[in-house]
Amino acid sequence: MTSLQTLMRQIKDLTPIPAVAHQLLAVVDSPSSMEDIADVIQYDPVITASILKTCNAAYFGLKNPVESIKDAVNMLGTDQVIELVLIKSGAQALSGNQQGYGLAQGDMWKYSVSSAVVTRLVAEKLSLKNKNTLFTAALIKDIGKIILEKHVWDAAGKIRHLVETKNFSFLEAEKKVLGIDHAELGSMIAKMWKFSPRMINIIRHHHLNDASKICDKEIAAVYFADCICMMMGNGVGSDGLAYRFKHQVMRELNLSAADLVMIIADFGMNMQEVDTLLHMA
Amino acid sequence: MKQIVGVADMKVSNNPAESIITYSLGSCIGIVIYDPAVKVGGILHYMLPDSSIDKTKATARPYMFADSGIPRLFKIAYTLGAAKQRMKVYVAGGAEILDQAGFFNIGKRNYLALKKMFFKNHVMINKQDVGGNTNRTVRLEIGTGDIYVKTSGAREERI
Repeated sequence: MTSLQTLMRQIKDLTPIPAVAHQLLAVVDSPSSMEDIADVIQYDPVITASILKTCNAAYFGLKNPVESIKDAVNMLGTDQVIELVLIKSGAQALSGNQQGYGLAQGDMWKYSVSSAVVTRLVAEKLSLKNKNTLFTAALIKDIGKIILEKHVWDAAGKIRHLVETKNFSFLEAEKKVLGIDHAELGSMIAKMWKFSPRMINIIRHHHLNDASKICDKEIAAVYFADCICMMMGNGVGSDGLAYRFKHQVMRELNLSAADLVMIIADFGMNMQEVDTLLHMA
Repeated sequence: MKQIVGVADMKVSNNPAESIITYSLGSCIGIVIYDPAVKVGGILHYMLPDSSIDKTKATARPYMFADSGIPRLFKIAYTLGAAKQRMKVYVAGGAEILDQAGFFNIGKRNYLALKKMFFKNHVMINKQDVGGNTNRTVRLEIGTGDIYVKTSGAREERI
């Protein structure tokens, strides 16, 4: 078992997601003006400079340089600027390597961005509100792995034994061997970083190990998008696809197997976008 | 030199200095073909079994689907001198999430689509590493025809 104090100490040592991400999420998923959004972003000079740098990069081939967040919004559109801020906020925390999960440098980040993009596709298909919160939740849902990976590494033999011979999911094996799983730990991190209760809840339940959460459409959507990313394999580690597929989610979201195939195909057409976002961050 | 096959992508080569690699096959399937007589080989990495769900997407990205991708893989190898009767075939991927059953099991459907096409066209699979819950990376060396597979977190192994 891993002592809670050890984990708490390790959480405190993490570089947190910048505050601008929370403030932005607090305004964007409620009716807000472009000025409100620009105000929030400008409050963080590092992110602002980074956004302007991205916009002015040769990549976009601009004639006139972008000099303010307002210019950036005019050029890219509000949604794109919001996503850029969220992506840039998550990049530092998530872009390392996590040996315990067999993830090389950048693998988790690639997986996280793919997951956020698929969650957006699912949220659009289901006409869910709060799409930016869902995008961010999908982006950072595996944050617990960053701390748990050292403990998973130390207990790799035991965890693998449970998964390979005892029909445990990887999450169930983490819980059994370490006393905590990466979703639970992720929600503790999100809480210490003062994320919204909704976000904490999505992170906590993103593998739907608590069946009673299936009726929460936001959790179900992030969960479903995560399943698709696992199947597509991009940035998947040694835990592989050893998580549970809950058929009930499909009924809850009113999605058929044909819808699943269509969303995968849509993602196939949008893969370039994941590379673009990775390039921007 | 390394040629990378992305998701919904394919590469064929007759350059003995090259190796072809495709990363992170989850439920997707990687088909490796190789003709040792002419040292021509290729890899296809497809995502879904059947292109009839969306003809526009199939036209734009034929390597996304088994039925539109597999014939192209073989045909392009033939244009470089490969012959069907000499072709070695290796299949990897088709993994599934735990408890993923029936029509929702994309990995199994991907594999069945391939089996059906191979049966109809008298193509034999020489070796395969399919199903399960692991993520696989596959590499083919054109000069030797050696095939290597790596599951996430483990070492690459020659098969």
